[in-house]
Amino acid sequence: MITLNYYLALSAVLFTIGVVGVIVKRNAIQMFMCIELMLNAVNLTFVAFSSYFGDVTGQLFVFIVMTVAAAEAAVGLGIIIAIFRNRESLDVDDASVLRL
Amino acid sequence: MLSWLSSVLPQLLFVLFGAMALGCAVAMVAHRNPLYSAISLVGVFVSLACLYLTLQAPFIAAIQVIVYAGAIMVLVVFVIMLLNVEEEVRRPVRLHFLIPVGVLLAAVLVGEAAFMLSLGGKSVPPPAASGVGLTASIGTGMFTKYLLPFEVTSVLILMALVGAITLARQGRTPLLAAPGHATEEPPVLDASGGLVLKSGDTAATGRAFAREQIRSGEAAAPSNVARGEGEEEGR
Repeated sequence: MITLNYYLALSAVLFTIGVVGVIVKRNAIQMFMCIELMLNAVNLTFVAFSSYFGDVTGQLFVFIVMTVAAAEAAVGLGIIIAIFRNRESLDVDDASVLRL
Repeated sequence: MLSWLSSVLPQLLFVLFGAMALGCAVAMVAHRNPLYSAISLVGVFVSLACLYLTLQAPFIAAIQVIVYAGAIMVLVVFVIMLLNVEEEVRRPVRLHFLIPVGVLLAAVLVGEAAFMLSLGGKSVPPPAASGVGLTASIGTGMFTKYLLPFEVTSVLILMALVGAITLARQGRTPLLAAPGHATEEPPVLDASGGLVLKSGDTAATGRAFAREQIRSGEAAAPSNVARGEGEEEGR
């Protein structure tokens, strides 16, 4: 029998993989994708709770989170393009100072 | 036989899609090429959508595939290809301590989650079939009780739209020319001193450019106007 804890454990492991990716990766786009992975892990928790407790609120939250993720994708990729245009590199170590 | 299969099917699906999600997530972090990472992330999204289906949330599963695997990942892949990112170059890592710190943080996070899950006393049984995840119930909740967050979301999207365009556009916003400050280009004269181009006459500029191309042999003269240049001025 698949209980709620299975989903929570899977979500925790996915979130952890995302955290490790953000810390270890140096490429801005890959760090961005790891953040998306963390958002998805949280979404899985929301949907699991919503389904197991029969309450629709969790799935509405997931909808809002997806909207925020879409906005984040647009703005984040715009920032990445701006960084690449100024520094000819996506490595975040190259973007360690605010001035050009 | 059939009853045994239906009793074991939820476990089977959970293990299948959970392992797929975990494998794709690990592959995403392990790849050095951002494009392969992006494809692995699509695998995570699709297997999570399948998990949502097993959780009786078909609307969220559809949205997951459409918005995440469709829109967001297309945007990411587009940017990767636009910037033409090669493999991550192996360079001397400035922050050596980051990898041990990452592993340590991962261990702490997993340990914490395991501790919390082991504390949770009674395990919740899987839900009976209900209409919670259907589109009608989500729409009812979204447009009655949660109408304000929904509307705020649209404002957020608008702000993201404007912000993304502002960030990604090349150069500065052109200033509106004040009446006294309009920059006048000098008129272009041909060899005999006749007026060829006035500033602002774009049609004449195009004709002069085409004539120049025909004269230098870059473009072939069209057969119907090759007789002379005088007639096109008369049109």
